[in-house]
Amino acid sequence: MSSLLHFSGHQHLRHRLVLSILSGKHVRIDKIRSDDKNPGLRDFEISLLRLLEKVTNGTVIEISVTGTAILLKPGIISGGAITHDCPLSRSIGYFLEPIVMLAPFSKTPFQLTLRGITTDENDLSVDIYRTVTLPHLQLFGLSDGLELRIKKRGAPPEGGGEIQFLCPIAKQVKTLNFVEPGKIKRIRGVAHAVRVNPQFSNRMIESSRSVLNRYIPDIYLYSDVYKGDESGRSPGYALSLLAESTTSAIHCSEAISKPGVAPEDIGLEAARALMAEVNLGGCVDRKHQILVLLMMVLGSEDVGRCLMAEPTTRTIQFLRDVKQFFGTSFKIVPAEAGSSQLLYSCYGTGYVNANRTLA
Amino acid sequence: MDDRPHKAHRPAQSGSKAEKKDKGKGKEKQKGFNEKAFAPKSGRRADKQGRRNAERDQTRLHVPLVNRTPDDEPPPVIVAIVGPPGVGKTTLLKSLVRRYAKQTLNDVKGPVTVVSGKKRRLTFIECNNDLNSMIDIGKIADLVLLMIDGSFGFEMETFEFLNILQSHGFPKVIGILTHLDLIKKAATLRDTKKALKKRFWTEIYQGAKLFYLSGVLNGRYPDTEIMNLSRFISVMKFRPLVFRNAHSYLLADRLEDLTPRELVRTSKGKCDRTVTVYGYVRGTNLRMGTRVHIPGVGDLDMKSVTVLGDPCPMPDADSEKRRKLSEKKKLIIHAPMSDVGGVMYDKDAVWVNVPGSFTRGNADVPQGEGEQMVMDLQDVGSTLEDTVAKSQIRLLGTSSKNLTVPDEDDVDMDNEEDDDLDLESQDGSDFEDDDSGIGSDAGDVEEDDDEGRPQDPRNTGRSIHRSGTRTLPSSSKKQRGDVEYAESDSDLGDDDSDLDIGGRRVRFGEEDDDHDVPSDEEDEDEESEDGDDETVPRWKKNLADRAQSSLKSQSRRKDWTKLIYATSLTPSQILQGEEQEEGSGSKEDGMDGDDDFFQIKRSADNDQDEVLDRSKEALSAEELKKWEDEEMLESIRHLFITGDDSAGGVVDEESGAFGGDDGGDDFEGDDEEEGGDAPSDPEAARAAALAAKKEALKRKFDEQYDDPESSKMDFYEEKKDEMARQLALNRAEFAGIDAEARALVEGYRPGQYVRIELADVPCELIENFDPSYPVVVGGLLPAEERFGFVQVRIKRHRWYARTLKNNDPLILSLGWRRFQTVPIYSLDDHSIRMRMLKYTPEHMHCYATFYGPVSLPNTGFCAFNSLSGETPGFRVSATGVVLNIDRSVKIVKKIKLTGVPYKIYKNTAFVKDMFNSALEVVKFEGANIRSVSGIRGQIKKAMPKPDGAFRATFEDKVLKSDIIFLRAWYSVQPRKFYNPVTSLLLSDKAHWTGMRLTGQVRRDEGLKTPLNVNSTYKPIIRAPRRFNPLVVPKKLQAALPYASKPKLMAPQRGQTYLQKRAVVMEPEEKKAVALLQQIRALRKDQVSRRKEKKDEKKAERKKKLAKEDALKGEKEKEKRKEYMRVAGQKSKRAAEIEEGGGRSKRRKT
Repeated sequence: MSSLLHFSGHQHLRHRLVLSILSGKHVRIDKIRSDDKNPGLRDFEISLLRLLEKVTNGTVIEISVTGTAILLKPGIISGGAITHDCPLSRSIGYFLEPIVMLAPFSKTPFQLTLRGITTDENDLSVDIYRTVTLPHLQLFGLSDGLELRIKKRGAPPEGGGEIQFLCPIAKQVKTLNFVEPGKIKRIRGVAHAVRVNPQFSNRMIESSRSVLNRYIPDIYLYSDVYKGDESGRSPGYALSLLAESTTSAIHCSEAISKPGVAPEDIGLEAARALMAEVNLGGCVDRKHQILVLLMMVLGSEDVGRCLMAEPTTRTIQFLRDVKQFFGTSFKIVPAEAGSSQLLYSCYGTGYVNANRTLA
Repeated sequence: MDDRPHKAHRPAQSGSKAEKKDKGKGKEKQKGFNEKAFAPKSGRRADKQGRRNAERDQTRLHVPLVNRTPDDEPPPVIVAIVGPPGVGKTTLLKSLVRRYAKQTLNDVKGPVTVVSGKKRRLTFIECNNDLNSMIDIGKIADLVLLMIDGSFGFEMETFEFLNILQSHGFPKVIGILTHLDLIKKAATLRDTKKALKKRFWTEIYQGAKLFYLSGVLNGRYPDTEIMNLSRFISVMKFRPLVFRNAHSYLLADRLEDLTPRELVRTSKGKCDRTVTVYGYVRGTNLRMGTRVHIPGVGDLDMKSVTVLGDPCPMPDADSEKRRKLSEKKKLIIHAPMSDVGGVMYDKDAVWVNVPGSFTRGNADVPQGEGEQMVMDLQDVGSTLEDTVAKSQIRLLGTSSKNLTVPDEDDVDMDNEEDDDLDLESQDGSDFEDDDSGIGSDAGDVEEDDDEGRPQDPRNTGRSIHRSGTRTLPSSSKKQRGDVEYAESDSDLGDDDSDLDIGGRRVRFGEEDDDHDVPSDEEDEDEESEDGDDETVPRWKKNLADRAQSSLKSQSRRKDWTKLIYATSLTPSQILQGEEQEEGSGSKEDGMDGDDDFFQIKRSADNDQDEVLDRSKEALSAEELKKWEDEEMLESIRHLFITGDDSAGGVVDEESGAFGGDDGGDDFEGDDEEEGGDAPSDPEAARAAALAAKKEALKRKFDEQYDDPESSKMDFYEEKKDEMARQLALNRAEFAGIDAEARALVEGYRPGQYVRIELADVPCELIENFDPSYPVVVGGLLPAEERFGFVQVRIKRHRWYARTLKNNDPLILSLGWRRFQTVPIYSLDDHSIRMRMLKYTPEHMHCYATFYGPVSLPNTGFCAFNSLSGETPGFRVSATGVVLNIDRSVKIVKKIKLTGVPYKIYKNTAFVKDMFNSALEVVKFEGANIRSVSGIRGQIKKAMPKPDGAFRATFEDKVLKSDIIFLRAWYSVQPRKFYNPVTSLLLSDKAHWTGMRLTGQVRRDEGLKTPLNVNSTYKPIIRAPRRFNPLVVPKKLQAALPYASKPKLMAPQRGQTYLQKRAVVMEPEEKKAVALLQQIRALRKDQVSRRKEKKDEKKAERKKKLAKEDALKGEKEKEKRKEYMRVAGQKSKRAAEIEEGGGRSKRRKT
């Protein structure tokens, strides 16, 4: 077994880089858009590599001349106060996803400032990170000092948003045992509209309420107001919803403005997407499967269990990659006969934050 | 052995004892129990007592630690016997083995495992006097029997060993005093015991157990004393140690070289070897894919791990019923390196010890295992090749049918594979590039050949023959399982695939509906290479209809584990429910590429959608459209708390209702639910659910109503409870699945006897193997494989005679590793900077930073300057703990740049000789400078003229003679030097030498220290400074106040009046003066005479004393002569004994 792993293709770049940094194994990724008219790494991927270089110490990244292959020799995660300007081709969510996975295992607590687009249709918006992703980290014993501040909003294409992500460091993440999905007891949501009529957010809220009101009365959809400089450079609006169950399992959805679509339709879309997500069931939202599975792998040397919906394509690839990096495979069985929900269980690797400094 | 008495004690009814007892009883009765006797007299006292009790209660509590070692079948406890040479370690080991296994070992080498009780096995290992062995043993021993020569006292090694233990987690220690029979006088014996006990207690803890062993009988210690000791060992409780609870490790009790002989021969024994080590897994689960470290050898890759049958099994269920360990079980002993049963496993041979003369055919004499083996070998008529040709191979000793090679087309693929394998291994070509399972099997076959037991189906690592009472957990079946595609049949959790023990032949018969997915590409390629003569693999033939039938039968039920881990389908294919067909299609696509030289790239536009690596999956329009439907919206109402119960599943509802609020036992409840899911009748199910709900509510109410306090657990209890629950879950989760799949998921559990195949082992390990040096295989965490700068907190040991110097090599024992590295010592300077130190401080911790393999923070270590036994004094030079791991370090040392002013104005001076160029000056513009006299200043600007000169301003005028200096910090980097202590690879294991100091190298090579003439010290000649007189200008003088005016008075030249006046005395005065003069003269004379006399007396005394001294010296000389004579005789005797392999030199503390 050599510590160098080979992958090809530009897909799943983020979690492979994360796994490499966490496991300390060198990784070589080639054939990055080698068939494309415009081969090699895109600007956002370069930017991601730069960000990873900033948050780590001793990382060596070698990019081939054509840009179609990279070699990553990971260092240690150092954290600290870092500022990064994200390119406008991808939103902040793209960059935040790997950071959220790395941040608990850094040497010093993360104080990361990211600038760019806060919400777009490809990646999770910063609202979802704040309201859904961070509670998912809390399942693993990370709570004190975990915070995401949205300083400015930035809608595509011009962006101009700014967020600050604060994350404490962990010695070891707790083993997860989450098999009770519970019942949904409350629905929350954040609507925002920047550089457009502020009435738009109310219209989104109204329309989504028309769908959601039938289930439970405990629905609060906030209209988040950002004015002037804080509202970024482009107009846009979006609605993000989350449904929390009695066992604090969270499902979320969001919808963002498209040209020529009324805010009411955006609200309906978000609500329906939430229904679809709730219908899939499980204790963990589909968008956060990877995060939860990773933390389960990194847990103490005990059996962790989690009930989830069927894996997404990303999750499947992630599971395969985890096996290569950590040697951990999951046992995936239906929760009960005939149900579509699956019980994922694995034996944690006993990952200890080796970067942490002893006082 | 059970310690409890078998019969209740019956007190004597008559006789003197009974009378005595009666009397005592009567007295007690008479008095009765006095309640007041223990009552506190005052309230304050009661308070004090209460507090004391509470405090004592708290000392009982320890931080709860999870014990990763399973309780049901733990690995044997490692009992290390440590002590200086000649103290009786081997004797004790033999005595203990005799006590447990009723066997006498002649030549004890390596670990010896015995069964000591119904739930405990012990592995004894003797530690030799080498410091390397002591370090390795200290890291793995669960219990240390520390042997001390009572007639000699503590020796340096004992203290060194205790310090090693302390820095690597302190295992339990029992002290054993031997050679007490050499002390003849009872009083001396008592005093010695007391003194040694006191010292021992200060080292370990007050009240540490110390045993006394008197003389040796028949080469063993007295049976009663050994019995007592064994009782103490059997009741010993062990607390998990942090390091061992996070690492898996193994004490190798056997080592085999699997390298093909031919390769060894051609390379003259210098090729890297493939080595298998055998032992019980300890600590945590041993996982494939991690690396291991063998202290003294280095980091190695595990090629394969195989679980073997336990060679020293715990008593099984039927003997468990008995109170005592049965006699038969007692006989089990596992010591492959020793000579148990007359068989000794050397590194590449098996030696059979035959007592007396041995003739073949003498059947009436009972033969040992080894003799039987040799005779069996002699009986073999045909070669292995013939046997294979005839195919008279039986898989199991018990199987009735032979393995055959049919010629028809419809051979089981598996069967063929197996034959291939046998042939190949017979050819001698190694089969290593194959699937790991197969490779290991091939290795086994080979190894068995070596041992001359070709038919031995049981792959135990054991050397002696046992009675066949124990049913082996089908290790041979497991072996067969390995030959299968390890990946393809990971039966992880698929409940419908039958796990028939009958084996694969049965399974392949019904494979059509089994939907067995073939393995991935490499396997396949290899398959096609192997079987190139056969046309199409069988499994490929009717793939399509098989897939279809399975689709039909399974009705879209997926085995996710298999699909994800054991197929090459792309994720999207898995999700869309496509089967292997497509996968193989795409594979063929790839193969086409090999045929055609050029191939047309698929245009990128068809996968334009998936080009984006997005974390949010776009919901399709119809997916959203679905939710416009009112019915659809209603259908998920049961997922909300307001929803009614009838809509959804009962189980769902129930768990939602009260699964959340008592989060503690939710999974237990879950298990129950899963178990009790059976009633199909919904009515019954609902009733049951209702009953369960009621029960839970009732229990909760009872708890709260009766005693709300009692239901609450304190922190300690809560933690322990939580741990116990997690451990139960760990056991339960993977209990059902088969062993190989389980090993894949969770690794090899502690307590299993495994065989680890290690690749690329240096040949010296095999060539210079010595079983008296322990071979420890320590599992490494992923983080520990990396290298980096490690910052540690270090303190020089107060018994180490010298200080430690910066940048001197130091040997560290950290984690599993022993290595030499070059540390830089530093101290935190006001939290501003890390400042380098030249030497470690006295009696204080400091930081050290070195380059090496990282260890987790909080790992303890100890350091040595030399490991050799010849080093005088205490060898542990420092101890400490890891603080921080990084890829770069920032340690600075102070540097002072000096310069001299060459032109001075009022507050400005021009300074030269500090820098060499203007550029350097620019770098330091604005920097603070200072003169020696303490005048502070600042660098202003570089001057063009003399290179490196600059203008500076000061707070006052500096003198031309002042030296100006600038204090700066220069960063230093630790040298990237890492030298593992490869002591096990040496033929002379005790004499490992690492990097030497320069001085040592010069001494060894006989070189002189190069002398730079400019660096020699010369006497400093300082010209006396002449200072000009202070001249105050006249004008200023005139303006000064009188007190401040310089006093300008010339010294008096002529005599004063008192000196030059004439004195004329009166006659009486004259007389008086004369009288006084006479008295003085008399006195003077008297004093001088007295002194003379005294001196005379002193001289006399001196003479006398000298005489006495001479006499005394004479006597002393005589005495010394006598002593030296005796000592000479003694040393002569010792030398003689040493020549005969007796005791070696000792170092007295």
